[in-house]
Amino acid sequence: MEWIGFANYAVYMAIFICIYALLSLGLNIQWGFTGLFNAGIAGFFAVGAYTSAVLTSPAADGRLGGFDLPFWVGWIGAMVAAALIAWPIGKICLRFRSDYLAIATIGVAEIIRLVIKSEDWLTNSARGITDIPRPLGDLPYTMSQLAYLAIVMAILLVVYLMVERQIASPWGRMMRAIRDNEDAARAMGKDVPYRRLEAFIFGSALMGLGGALFAHFNRSITPEAIDPMVATFLVWIMLILGGSGNNRGAILGVAVVWVIWSVSEIVTDQFPHEYAVKAKYLRIFLIGLMLQLVLRFRPEGLLPEASGERKPVGKTGN
Amino acid sequence: MKLFQTAIAAALLGATALAAPAHADVKIGLIGGVTGPIAAMAPPMIASAQLAIDQVNANGGILDGQKLIGVVGDSACNPQNGTDAATKAVNIEGVVAIVGPHCSGSVLAVANSVTVPAGIAIITPSGTSPEITSLDDKDTVFRTVPSDDYQGRALARTLLDRGTKKVAVAYLNNDYGKGLAEAFKSEFEANGGEIAGYAAHEGEKASYRSNLAELASGGADTLVILDYGDGSGLTLLRQALENGFFENFVGADGMKSDATFKELGAENLTTFVASSPVGEKSDALEMFSKAFTEAGGDPSAIFVTTSYDAAFLMALAVEKAGGDKTKVAAAMREISNGTGETILPGEWAKAKELIAAGKAIDYKGAAGDHNFDEKGDVPGAYALFKVGANGFEMIGEMK
Repeated sequence: MEWIGFANYAVYMAIFICIYALLSLGLNIQWGFTGLFNAGIAGFFAVGAYTSAVLTSPAADGRLGGFDLPFWVGWIGAMVAAALIAWPIGKICLRFRSDYLAIATIGVAEIIRLVIKSEDWLTNSARGITDIPRPLGDLPYTMSQLAYLAIVMAILLVVYLMVERQIASPWGRMMRAIRDNEDAARAMGKDVPYRRLEAFIFGSALMGLGGALFAHFNRSITPEAIDPMVATFLVWIMLILGGSGNNRGAILGVAVVWVIWSVSEIVTDQFPHEYAVKAKYLRIFLIGLMLQLVLRFRPEGLLPEASGERKPVGKTGN
Repeated sequence: MKLFQTAIAAALLGATALAAPAHADVKIGLIGGVTGPIAAMAPPMIASAQLAIDQVNANGGILDGQKLIGVVGDSACNPQNGTDAATKAVNIEGVVAIVGPHCSGSVLAVANSVTVPAGIAIITPSGTSPEITSLDDKDTVFRTVPSDDYQGRALARTLLDRGTKKVAVAYLNNDYGKGLAEAFKSEFEANGGEIAGYAAHEGEKASYRSNLAELASGGADTLVILDYGDGSGLTLLRQALENGFFENFVGADGMKSDATFKELGAENLTTFVASSPVGEKSDALEMFSKAFTEAGGDPSAIFVTTSYDAAFLMALAVEKAGGDKTKVAAAMREISNGTGETILPGEWAKAKELIAAGKAIDYKGAAGDHNFDEKGDVPGAYALFKVGANGFEMIGEMK
C-alpha cells in the first residue's frame, strides 16, 4: 500500500504549507503591501503558539494555566495576544525606517524568545508545553491528519480571501501609496504612522494564528520551535521567492521552498549513511542557491505583484 | 521558473524512483540533529547507531537473513524538521521503528504528531527532558538515556558524600541544562548543601566572564557546569580557569567530552570531575568501545553509547516482533526486562538464535542495563570520572 504512505506525506506537507502560508501572508501585509521590514516573525509566532497552548492545555503545576478551554478560544486568543504585543512594539519601533526597523524587531523577537525560554511560571521555560489538544486528534493517524488539513485549509482560505479583499479595497491602495511614497501619502492627508501600525498589528495577528495552529498540530510547543532560523528567516525566503506584494505568490513561495527542502532529503537519504549525514547541509545550500538565483534573475519573485489598476471593491474612500 | 520546475520534477522523480522499496530490506529510521545546534554531536551518534546496524548485517541479518537499513533523517533539533523527517521515514521509507530524534523538543513533536498516532515505536538516545516521561504515548516511546532528573539527583548526592557543601551552578538554558540544574538544586539543598550561585546562560557566546564573576561572588569554590563540553561548557570552563574564579569543577555527562582536555590540557584539569552514565557490567562498555574504535569512532564521545544501545535494542525488538511494526513496542519490553539470557553489545547471532528458539533475552548495553520502567524510561547507573593521562578515568560509582 505504497500510495497511502505518499498520501500521508503529501497531507503532512500540505498542513505544514498552510500553517507557514499564514506566516507568509502576515509578512506580506507588513512587507509586501506596507513596506515594514519585520524581522521578528518568530516572536509573534511564539506569542500565538504559547498563548493558545496555555489557554487550551489541561491544568499543570508550575506554570500559568492551563485553562483547558476549547481550541478555537485558544486560536482567537493567540491572534488577540499577538496583536496586543504588536501594538506597543509597533508604537515604538515603527518610527524607525527599513533596516533600523529590522534591527529593532529582531531584538524584540529575541527578547520574547528568551523570556519564553527562561520564565518557568509563564511558559515552563526550556521544557515547553505539552498535552495541547488537537482538534479531531483522536481519530486514526490518516484520518486525523486529513481532518487537521481540512481545518487549516479552511482557515487559510478565509484569511486569504479577507486579505485579498482588504488589499483590493481603498485601504490597500492607501497602504501601497504609503509604501511607495510616504511623503505624497502624508500630503494627501493620510495618517501614516497610524496606518503603518494597523498593518503591523494585522500581520502580527496572522503570525500568532500560524503559531497557534503549529502548536496544536504538534500537540506541544518548545523553545526550539521558535528559533529565528525556522520561524523568521525561512518565512522571509518563502515570501521573497514567491513574490512579495502578491498573496498567491506568498503562498506559492511557501509551497516551493518547503517542497524542495523536504523532498530533497528523500534524495539525500539514499546515499550511504556517512554521505547522507553530510548531504543534509546540501539542502541548506540548495535553499540559499534558490534565493540567490531568484534575486538575480527574477527579483520580483515567482508571482510578482500585479501592476496597474486593481478593481476597487468598496465605494467609499478612507 | 523553468529551473524550479526542473528542480521539483527531478526531486520528485528521484524520490519516486528511489523510494520504491526492495521488500527484502527492513528499514529503521535514524533521526538526529544533523544540522542545527547539536551538529557537532550528531555524526558520531549516528555512526554508532550505524555500527549496531552493521553488526546485525554482518551476523546473519535480521528476520530471514534480510538486510537492516538505517535511514538517516535530519531533525535539525527543532520540531519543524523533526516532524518532517519522521513523516518521511514512516510514510515514504516505510520504517518499522525509529531511533531518535536526538533533541527533546523534536521527540515531543514527533511522538505527538507522527509516531504515536501511526503506532511506530521510537527510542531516543539523547532526549533527556522530564516532559518525555509524561507523554501519553500508548507505550511506544522509549529512551536509553536517563531523564535529567535522575542524573541531577545522583550528582548532588555524590558531591555531598565527597564533602562538597557549597557550590555555584551554571547551566545551559535548554531542556538539558535546565532539567539537570533543577534536579541537582532540589536534591542538594534538601540534603543540607548550599547553592551559592545559580544562573542560566545562553549557548555559543564568546565570553562568560560576567556570568562567572557573578557566580563566584557567592563565595563557593566549586562550580557545577551543566552544559556541553564541546560547546559553551568548554568556554565557561576555560574562562573560569583563566581567571581563577573557582578551584573545583564538576560536570555532568555533557561535560565528559574529550574536547575538554584536548583543548585545555589534562594538567590543568586536575580539579575537574564529570559524571556520566555507565553500564553496571563494564565488559558491555568495553565490547562496544572496542568495536566502535575499530570502526573508526571515538567511544567516549557524548551519547554514542546510548545511540548504539538504542539502535541495537531496536534491532532486537524488530527481530522479536517478527518485523511487524505494530508489535515492536511490546517486543521492546520483552528483550530488556532483566530476565533471560544476557546479551551484550554485538552479540547479534546469539540473540537471534535465542529469539528463534523462543527463549527470553535481556540486553545489557554499553550505557546501562536498560530495564525500562512503565514510562519507557531507564534509571541509569552513573559513575564519576576525572581526567587522567589517557583521557577520562572512572573514580567511583555514584548512588
